[in-house]
Amino acid sequence: MERRRDGIQCTKVYGLLVLLLFSFLGNLSVSALSVTVNDVECVYEYVLYEGDTVSGNFVVVDHDIFWSSDHPGIDLTVTAPGGNQVHSVRGTSGDKFDFKAPRSGMYKFCFHNPYSTPETVSFYIHVGHIPTEHDLAKDEHLDPINVKIAELREALESVTAEQKYLKARDARHRHTNESTRKRVIFYTATEYLLLALASSLQVLYIRRLFSKSVAYNRV
Amino acid sequence: MGRKKDGKMSAFRAEKFLVFMLFLFGMVLRAKGVWLEIPKSGIKCLFEDIRKSVVVMADYYVFWDEDYLNTNYTPRVSVKVTSPYGNAVHHQENVTHGQFAFTTSEDGSYMACFSTESSHDGGKAVTVGIEWKTGIAAKDWESVAKKEHVEGLELELRKLEGVVEAIRENLIYLKSREADMREVSERTNARVAWFSIISLGVCVAVSLVQVVHLKHFFEKKKLI
Repeated sequence: MERRRDGIQCTKVYGLLVLLLFSFLGNLSVSALSVTVNDVECVYEYVLYEGDTVSGNFVVVDHDIFWSSDHPGIDLTVTAPGGNQVHSVRGTSGDKFDFKAPRSGMYKFCFHNPYSTPETVSFYIHVGHIPTEHDLAKDEHLDPINVKIAELREALESVTAEQKYLKARDARHRHTNESTRKRVIFYTATEYLLLALASSLQVLYIRRLFSKSVAYNRV
Repeated sequence: MGRKKDGKMSAFRAEKFLVFMLFLFGMVLRAKGVWLEIPKSGIKCLFEDIRKSVVVMADYYVFWDEDYLNTNYTPRVSVKVTSPYGNAVHHQENVTHGQFAFTTSEDGSYMACFSTESSHDGGKAVTVGIEWKTGIAAKDWESVAKKEHVEGLELELRKLEGVVEAIRENLIYLKSREADMREVSERTNARVAWFSIISLGVCVAVSLVQVVHLKHFFEKKKLI
């Protein structure tokens, strides 16, 4: 029993070491993910270096607002590790954000849905680091060309982020289109049926009126 | 007898502490993903709309607080990854970390759900870190570097070339999606026009039928 427990602990440590090895693979960002926000949904992202640019966007994708044409919106609040608010957007159905991290640490991105219907939010967060002269001086393996490559990579990342934003907006537009298409068909069919039903009820009612009372009056 | 037991307990605690420190270290080094907090006995799902033949790779790991050091409870999650048609691509119960990789076979929304069970009394909100990579971000550059013997600067430039290719493919895909949607829009537009005219026609026809029928009825009843 004791040996088995030791064995389990050993595999845990090995698993951790394997995970640590994975950590040294490239500096690539996460894909655009969607999450369903019922009330508050918080996502955390770790910023490694102070002064890194944190950029991203979010779009409310799937909303089932029946009557009104404009989405009431969702709030985004970004909290720095010290507890102060770094960025805040209220009542939008999608926005891009961009800020320079004042310190390294765990940043909290909270989406708040002020309404009772759950909303699906598609978000993308990217933390970009460009080596500065200070880093160049510290690490002799870094060339000035690495700085240029990092800048190029960040520029390409911003294009990719824009594409993810467009994709999320396209998804939302597609929802609206599909909903319009379904509404047109369903409501038109219902309208025809109800019209036919109402007029046949009218005719039946008039027939009934005239067949009962007039027959009595007629001798 | 008691001392031996104490010895074992302290060794266990020391090992737990070591594991926790390794976790912290790993956290700082590899924290490139998104962290989510799952309430006890709750489910949180993340999903993404992915087109087909795209490689998806993800790592997930549960984070430990200092609180967990003092208890014998290890936080665990159950993971379920489903394809848009409902097939389970990856399913694991009660694990602390894991990874999965697959190539998408159909267009649609792929969902990864993490759930906790409040089986222990010490159940509290569990923080899960997820690193989710699709497409070019999931490409294994190490093996490409080994196979084609590129390294350093050339490898970095190859990576940038890959990203540019991915951008171009994404743009073409967005264009085709926009074309699909434009088609649906135009069809709906034409349908609205047709259905409104038909609705007018139905209205007129129904009222004519009404009038004719009632006229015939009254004539039969010898009222007119």
